[in-house]
Amino acid sequence: MTSPNPGPSGQSSANGPQPRPTGEAVEAVQRALAAEHAAEWSYGLAAVLVAKEMEKTASTDLAAHRTRREATERMLRDAGATPVPPQPAYQPPKPVTDAASATELLVTAETDTAGAWRAVLERTDDQGLRQFALDALTSAAVRATRWRRAGRQSPLTVPFPGQPG
Amino acid sequence: MTLEPSRPGPLPRRRFLLAGVLAMAAAPLAAACTSTPPPPPGPDPLEPLAARARADAALARAVAESVPGAGQDLVQAATAVAASRKAHAEALDQEIQRARPVTGSSAPSSSSGVPTAPPTAAEAKAALVEALTAAEQEARALVTTAPRHRAGLLGSVTASCASLREVLA
Repeated sequence: MTSPNPGPSGQSSANGPQPRPTGEAVEAVQRALAAEHAAEWSYGLAAVLVAKEMEKTASTDLAAHRTRREATERMLRDAGATPVPPQPAYQPPKPVTDAASATELLVTAETDTAGAWRAVLERTDDQGLRQFALDALTSAAVRATRWRRAGRQSPLTVPFPGQPG
Repeated sequence: MTLEPSRPGPLPRRRFLLAGVLAMAAAPLAAACTSTPPPPPGPDPLEPLAARARADAALARAVAESVPGAGQDLVQAATAVAASRKAHAEALDQEIQRARPVTGSSAPSSSSGVPTAPPTAAEAKAALVEALTAAEQEARALVTTAPRHRAGLLGSVTASCASLREVLA
């Protein structure tokens, strides 16, 4: 936890009302936070392996996840919940040993993140939280597209980012 | 293809990143949709989105098939736009039908004519970017206020349009 808790009257989101998770949305936001933790861990692992020309993208993307994670933790604390901590380590679906497998891991991390935030959209009526989750879903989908391109995957996009199944 | 914590940890319930968990959570939600309250009168707010998705798919097909000087990248991108926007139109139509099965007869008026592809690759690309930007804004505007069961679909359409613009970038 690198950021202090600004409390309910603290830093507001860039646009729209403050996200306020309640009820089943809290658990969905916790799952999204867990996905953000996993994404940060993945970027940490992949950063030293991705192709030279993608290093800057990787560090920008990691920073975006960190910012999102910190805002998510603040939101949960403001709602009276205890943010879930990161796991000590995660199990990538495949061994990560080179640029190709590192890129694939990042696509997986972004896909997981998109799915978790889309699930939040369906579990809240709070407009601030909907906006927050939509921004998170959209940016994860765009980053996934970029990493698919870097990994020469095809297709570069899916028709319904974040949709389960 | 998801990341899992490498150790079960003290809270085995919280293996958050299993896609299966999300899928299972979504299933009862989908079942619950059938008993949502009746829709308000007037046209379904998703109708303009479905129409736009169909029009975008037609434009993208025309670009993929008939723009002179379109390189392989543009053809591939336009093909992706066509496929995704067609899928969006179908999903939106399906939701419109689900909400109002009675007025089904007036549903998709598919033929609004075949669009003419822009004459050059640069104009074709610009036209696709413009179309996707408008589509993204239109879907985004509905996400915050839509009923829950529609918010996910609208969010995915928004994210897809943003991703397709990235493909064209």
